[in-house]
Amino acid sequence: MIGKKIATVSLTALLFAGTLPFTACNKQLDVNSTRQSDEAKSWKTIDDARSSLMGIYGLFRAAVADNNAHWLFGELRNGDFTALKRPDLKAIIEGKLNASYPVIESIANWRRFYAAINACNLFIERSGEALADTRYTEINHKVDVAQARVLRAFMYYYIVRIWGDVPLLTKSYDNGSFKQFPRSSKEDVLGFAVREIEEAAPMLPFAYGAADPKMPGEVYHTKTYTEWKNMLINKVSAYAILAHITALQGNYYATAGYTDYVMQNYNRIAINYLSVGDLTGRTGIFNELADDLGTDQNQFISFNFLRGMGELSVSGHIEQLTLAYPLVSKQSPDIYITKDTLASMFPTSNGQDLRFGTDTSSVDQGTPTLYRNAYITNYGEEIPIFSKVKSINAGVAGEQQFNVFTSAILFTRLEEIVLLRAEALAVLGHESDAATLLNNIRSRRNVKAFDGEEAGADLIKEIFEERRRELVGEGWRWYDLVRYNKIKKNNPAFNALISNGGIYWPVSRDVLNNNALITQNNYWK
Amino acid sequence: MRLKSLLPAKSIAFCALLIVNARPAAKAYTGYQAAPPASNGKDTIPVTDTTLAAKAAPQQIATQATFSKDGKVNVRTLSFTPFISVQQYVKGNLAGVYVQEPSGEPGTEQNLFIRGISMPLLSKRELFDNQAAVYLNGVPLAADNPFAYEIQQYDFNRIGPATNLLAALNIDNVESIEVIKDPARLAILGPVAANGAIWITTKAAKSGRRQININGYVGFAPQQQVTPVNGVYENNFRLPFYNKYGTLNDRFNYPAYLKDSSNADYYGRSNWTDSYYKNQALYNLDLSLTGGSERANFRFFGGATRNANTADETALQRYNASFSINVLPLKWVTASAMINATHMIRNRNRNFVDRLAEARYLPDVSNPLPPNKSVYEQYLGQFDENVKDDNKTTAVQGYFNILAQMKGFRYTGGLSFDYNEGTRDVFYPTQLLEGNNFVSNYFGFNQRFIFSNAVGYTWNIDTQNKLDFEAGQTYQSTRNKFEYAYGYNGPNNFIKLNIVNGDPNATDYLQSNGFDVFYHPSNQKVAIAAFFGKANWAYNDILDVTAVVRRDGASVMQPDNRWYTGYGLTATLDLYKTVVKNADFLSNLDLTASYGRNGKLLSDDRFAGGPNYRSDLSWTGAPTIGSFAGLPGLSRPYNSGWVGYGIPWAYVEQLSAGIKAGFLQNKLQVGIDVYSKTDKDMMLPVPVPAEYGYKTAYASGLDVNNSGVDLTLHAGVLTEAANKPGLSLHANLNYNKNELKALPNGLQRLVINDHLLQVGQPIDAFWVYKNEGIYNTNAEVPVKPGTSQPLTYQGVALKAGDARWQDVNGDYTINEDDKVMVGNSLPKITGGFGGNLAYRSFNLDFNFYFALGHKLLNKYAAQRLDFINTDASSSIDGVKEITFWEKKMDLGAYPMYNPWSNTIPYRLDQDLFLDKASFVKLRSVTLSYNLVSGWKGKGKSNVFKEATVYLTGANLFTITSFKGDDPELVQYNGLYTGAGLPIQRSFILGFKLEL
Repeated sequence: MIGKKIATVSLTALLFAGTLPFTACNKQLDVNSTRQSDEAKSWKTIDDARSSLMGIYGLFRAAVADNNAHWLFGELRNGDFTALKRPDLKAIIEGKLNASYPVIESIANWRRFYAAINACNLFIERSGEALADTRYTEINHKVDVAQARVLRAFMYYYIVRIWGDVPLLTKSYDNGSFKQFPRSSKEDVLGFAVREIEEAAPMLPFAYGAADPKMPGEVYHTKTYTEWKNMLINKVSAYAILAHITALQGNYYATAGYTDYVMQNYNRIAINYLSVGDLTGRTGIFNELADDLGTDQNQFISFNFLRGMGELSVSGHIEQLTLAYPLVSKQSPDIYITKDTLASMFPTSNGQDLRFGTDTSSVDQGTPTLYRNAYITNYGEEIPIFSKVKSINAGVAGEQQFNVFTSAILFTRLEEIVLLRAEALAVLGHESDAATLLNNIRSRRNVKAFDGEEAGADLIKEIFEERRRELVGEGWRWYDLVRYNKIKKNNPAFNALISNGGIYWPVSRDVLNNNALITQNNYWK
Repeated sequence: MRLKSLLPAKSIAFCALLIVNARPAAKAYTGYQAAPPASNGKDTIPVTDTTLAAKAAPQQIATQATFSKDGKVNVRTLSFTPFISVQQYVKGNLAGVYVQEPSGEPGTEQNLFIRGISMPLLSKRELFDNQAAVYLNGVPLAADNPFAYEIQQYDFNRIGPATNLLAALNIDNVESIEVIKDPARLAILGPVAANGAIWITTKAAKSGRRQININGYVGFAPQQQVTPVNGVYENNFRLPFYNKYGTLNDRFNYPAYLKDSSNADYYGRSNWTDSYYKNQALYNLDLSLTGGSERANFRFFGGATRNANTADETALQRYNASFSINVLPLKWVTASAMINATHMIRNRNRNFVDRLAEARYLPDVSNPLPPNKSVYEQYLGQFDENVKDDNKTTAVQGYFNILAQMKGFRYTGGLSFDYNEGTRDVFYPTQLLEGNNFVSNYFGFNQRFIFSNAVGYTWNIDTQNKLDFEAGQTYQSTRNKFEYAYGYNGPNNFIKLNIVNGDPNATDYLQSNGFDVFYHPSNQKVAIAAFFGKANWAYNDILDVTAVVRRDGASVMQPDNRWYTGYGLTATLDLYKTVVKNADFLSNLDLTASYGRNGKLLSDDRFAGGPNYRSDLSWTGAPTIGSFAGLPGLSRPYNSGWVGYGIPWAYVEQLSAGIKAGFLQNKLQVGIDVYSKTDKDMMLPVPVPAEYGYKTAYASGLDVNNSGVDLTLHAGVLTEAANKPGLSLHANLNYNKNELKALPNGLQRLVINDHLLQVGQPIDAFWVYKNEGIYNTNAEVPVKPGTSQPLTYQGVALKAGDARWQDVNGDYTINEDDKVMVGNSLPKITGGFGGNLAYRSFNLDFNFYFALGHKLLNKYAAQRLDFINTDASSSIDGVKEITFWEKKMDLGAYPMYNPWSNTIPYRLDQDLFLDKASFVKLRSVTLSYNLVSGWKGKGKSNVFKEATVYLTGANLFTITSFKGDDPELVQYNGLYTGAGLPIQRSFILGFKLEL
């Protein structure tokens, strides 16, 4: 009996002692979340720095991919596309940017762009802490920060194009206080961007993982040259961005200088002119990493979506808007280029444009090709499909019905830079040089050369017409129209838009609600 | 001293309180609430002796019986019904408990709120945070954590089986279901019970001659009668809009499936309903065995249940097994153990939306499935042949407990656990997904361990005064984990699983078998340590006072705010014995007042570390992007919200006072409770200036008050006697209203998505434009005086065919400033009523339930009318189910606006689509016949202690003014989409035997 009692008491005591709550309490309650990295554990190693740098690029990609914003901002308004059914896209095309569609309200909020900017600011301020990790070298850190600075400047340029004056935040204010800032003038913001890139660009290498003097070694952040190709901002891309910023400023003298630098150095980062096939192939320049074009083809600035890494998506690609049956199973596209517009973009007087053209004379070739359709599928149908970009599931054969896309968001390419340089030179009065550049591109597309002697020849108009043809679907049209009309000033309606701020987007109500210092663009008040 | 070093300074005083505790002041109201339907006549309710088990059941939180109050479900009546989930058991049966059943699909998630909601239901996260806790034999059941929604593009369903874990309980194994609302009683249950608690006790082992119970029923759910429509109907609905407002181009874009009226698929017979709505069988069979000696006894329970819905062949199959034992190794020691296992298999619906949300892929949906049976059956054929959708959930709960008593001292301690896991294996063949197949596999579990110890001492001071003390400790650890992988483009439709080589040395180790695979694991762990003390003073069966204090530390809180002290005080005074005395009409009168304060637990572990970095690189439509260039990217939580330091514990403070009175020898019993419950210092994601990139920043300071009245009523109208019928009636009712008391950062007003939160207003109000009709001509649109500028909708001029919205602030622009707060999505009044009529060996039970005074936002009507935008939208909202061809409501009464207008006249956020959602439903009617007393009329049987047969009809009819199919099929946020499966009407025939 006694023995039993002792046994029971010990059992009870054991149960009590087993939990040991008093001693173990606070320690037991220190449970770290596995779903995030807490402040105390951050900015300690090279891995933290690398993840944060990738975070910046990822946020930038998210900002331009969200709701296909890159094209909704750049391609639609007054552009060549027509919305088939979607009333929100129709409203953008017609410039009714205050129409109350969810997509319009969503992209009119600049939050995602500022997320990337905030991440840049934070990286510039904090990444130095990771130098405590000896694997993170001073030189590596310098290159990383230079990228963050260029990206931040690029982002400011990107949003000034859209909204005009925007708040200029150059610090992260990473303490939860969320001080409100008013909009700075677009001149100040662009000025800041130019200064930043001018300072940072010289610190960037031409290529990563390629034993560049600025970033020695065959491995940069665990990857080699072939893996980094097409991914990061390099020295040439920084100057390409500068060329664009100065063009937006109207400082074409500087644009000419920067494009000259790009033209002198593009071969150092393995960039070449693209054939129409390279441009429009399923595995061409837009497909992930442009891998099928070989190691000799790089890109200036491109936000990629790697299929093998789970980065492919349905949204964030122009294909989501433009493709339809028979390329994908969608019945009809959201936007398309009407036959009339195609005819005006690709006039028969241009000759046998390889990109697109109706063709009345090719019957003599034996095969009666009625049109050249590198850009267009189903021209014979009521609704032609704009299929210049069609990276469907990384171009893997047999999966063309699957609406998952991998096309990169390409900011600029060599043809674009050549045309920008031509534009700058033409504005500066170097017309023959400009015409040479223009004809360089035209000859590659089998378009009749521009002849300044011809009656009614208008070099600037032709340069912009060439941009329209070459860059359609790449998010340039609206910004080109703005620059063109700023140069020409011959369209009263557009002049009015420029002078009263109508070329800019309204700021979303969410932005206005949460920052009392932000005022709506006058035009949209 | 050791304590001092470990606990914050405040706790020193508290430790002094940790001395000791309380004896069951068993009297309280037992006489009152345990009352079964007043005329229990010949319905032989087995008398069970559960005292032994009740003593030893997991007492992790002290002696539960101490605070016995009213609020028990009549389990006996429920055991005659085909309901399967805890939510259904309590629906309409407990004052102050409100249950939402957004779909009648068996085994889908249902919501359980006690005395209102404490924070606005902005997303499934807040919905989860508002759920009441459910305790099974003292173990708070672990639920599916909403963190899985973070990797989901759409939140219609949680990934995995998403089976209602509270559907695991067989009512025949339940001894009692009780709601705990008393603030002091909740205070000792701690943070888990901050939203109130449902306390369930299963039938326990007991001593005596072996007892066998067998219960069973079979029944059916009859085919739903609906109004199917075809292309003619849709065409006739749309054409007038085209005639009135459409342009030539609009006509050109007329939907392809409606263009050709000779298309027999769309314009032919609409007989899909034959394949969609079918008669379904229901059944239940269970058996229990109880017996043993005084020193060692046991109980076994096993059962199998099938519940099914007439719609879409949805069903839930459930298997239960339960075993419990009590052992008294010594006279003063009781050891008891229980293990309770459930396996559930769910047949899910075949909705497009659910399927596409799972596949995260939106194919072309411009043409709906045709309403013709032959085509629809081809579609269903795919499901039979190629689709795999296995949903399994297994739950196990158990405890091992020891109760030792010696003289006035006692010790209870033990450990309990709850573990449930779900798996879902999905395969969609190429035919369903644009030539691609899809596979997904989910495995997830929720696991909870609780260790608890308590010591108590009862001190009988004299014959009139008794003191009882108890002190104890608990440690609770909860882990939620899931592993989820999905893949596209498998080799063919026969390979339905992505089986990989698990040998780490093989070259193809873990390599995908042709699928493009995406893998998402996630887990979180939450630990809570608590110390509590309780003291009770009972004076002569007249006065009973209990004080409790509890200190909790939680791992989800930041280290400097880790601990919180909750406390409570409750007192009951028997007025009948002290003041009234011997009044003829009165037979009982009790007065109770109670106050309590509970910490509130965060359901997410991301706040403990303060500012953080996450993988947050996603954009709309791509929620799981975490890398750039294939390297993981980290950033501040721009999308999920900034987290700072200094987050205090949120807490709920509750005061209630009640009176219970019995009249006419307790034939009429009335209980009234008034309460005021304020949840304070809760966190809310507050929008911040967009220039930092954050969508929101979490800030504390959200205060919400819920106040109201609970009312219960029992009346024995006729007392049964030989050849005279007995009639008893009962009712319960809750009136609740909530009010936003404060917002974080001292804000008075806050807009979050489509919600407006305004201090002084309810948190469940709709925020809408006031619709005043239509502008028939452009001339009718008001023009701003002194200008030629007509009234605009956010800058877009209104024209003929637009909606006439009220310009509340008179600035000639309709925008958010003109929206008003109207109505509320949660009912003001909820409850139920019913009765029992007994005559000879017959018993007739009926139960109604109701929800009154709330509204719903009719998204179904808005989407149908806004067909231009719905069809054009590339979002999942544009997906049409087969039920597109069912006429759920008449849309003719709405004004005819221009659906092409840029102002979106049929926008959802206007009072045009606010409908009254009040309803009264007949929940169940049961007619039972007692064979023991009735057959041959002798009331005796040597074999059977009970033998009853019964017939029950469930969900028989609804009274409502709502024009749609059922005002109860509304989502948590008040949206009626028409997507919910009907709440099943069913009929069952069953028996109950005891021998």
